[in-house]
Amino acid sequence: MTHLSMEALLSLREAGLEPGDASAREHLDTCLACRAELDRLHQRVARIRALPALRPSRDRWPQLSGRLRVARRAHRHRMAGLIGLAAAASIAVAVLVGPHTEVANGGEQEIEAAMARSQALETALSQYHPEQRMLDGRTAGIAQELEDRIARVDRELEMAELLERQQPKDDQLLKLWRERVGLLDALVDVHVTRASNVGL
Amino acid sequence: MESYLLANAESVVARARAGDEGALEELYRAFEAPVYNLARRICRTTEDAEDVLQETFFEVCRSIGRYREEGSLWGWVRTIAASKALMRLRRNKYRDTDELQEDVVGHRREDTALRMDLEAALERLSETSRAVVWLHDVEGYTHEEIAGMMGKTPSFSKSQLARAHQRLRRWLGEEVEV
Repeated sequence: MTHLSMEALLSLREAGLEPGDASAREHLDTCLACRAELDRLHQRVARIRALPALRPSRDRWPQLSGRLRVARRAHRHRMAGLIGLAAAASIAVAVLVGPHTEVANGGEQEIEAAMARSQALETALSQYHPEQRMLDGRTAGIAQELEDRIARVDRELEMAELLERQQPKDDQLLKLWRERVGLLDALVDVHVTRASNVGL
Repeated sequence: MESYLLANAESVVARARAGDEGALEELYRAFEAPVYNLARRICRTTEDAEDVLQETFFEVCRSIGRYREEGSLWGWVRTIAASKALMRLRRNKYRDTDELQEDVVGHRREDTALRMDLEAALERLSETSRAVVWLHDVEGYTHEEIAGMMGKTPSFSKSQLARAHQRLRRWLGEEVEV
């Protein structure tokens, strides 16, 4: 007599009927060994569910709330940069139309442009809803690596912005903002390329 | 499937959306234990599980505005946690050591009277198999949902579950002569 496979026994525990379930049930009615196997399967699952809950050894909230505060500050700064860009754009228009106006500081403008580009890429990415899309393992790894690097740049920006209040260094800020834009560009590419490959 | 409830969930979510740090902490405190448990059952090390815990809540806090309140709050948090844990497995590229050993030694193990406790047997499963067992048998995800989270097919999820139960059955000494 051929007994039911583990896959067949497992499918009998599912809510819907799969092809072959009816004959499996018929077999079960007449086979003591398979009924016993199904009972053992039920018991094993019940034992797994009853395993004690594992708990973290330390409180991670202080670290997490610190990280959230940094992210919020970086976000606010980026938003402020966007508003600054609008102001810079109006200054640029004034420069073009007014023959005797002074040219604004090039470094600051470049930083504001990089901030605006960064914000635009983040907006494009959030509209793409990457968190709702599945990625294959390799692509997910690349995306995670880029996100980690962006987080690192954000931390460096946070530090650079704190220092900048005491000793302005536009070149350092500009370098970091450009790095952030490059990473975000790559992240958008990773998500969008993957999407076009599978026709989403 | 166990479900976790947060008292005054609607008001906590509304305050969290407004950026109230106290509300974010309430969310964290409410779901910290089940998220960690899920992560620890899927990941190999406590360090990985703690990282998954933090990544999950970082994502929860950042995207609480996108929670649509169509399902349970715990269901939403749990799906983020499961995705983060599976992503961690992919990143770490753990070797499925038990399966490699099985391939090498063939069926010699079957002749050995093995009897482990359940925790040890689960720990011995490959990361992928253990994740499928936990997500399906304990958390109650369907094979289609697991396949979606893993980027695989439902058939893959079903065969992983069947192989895992065959191994658990053997390692737990449940095999009987028929």
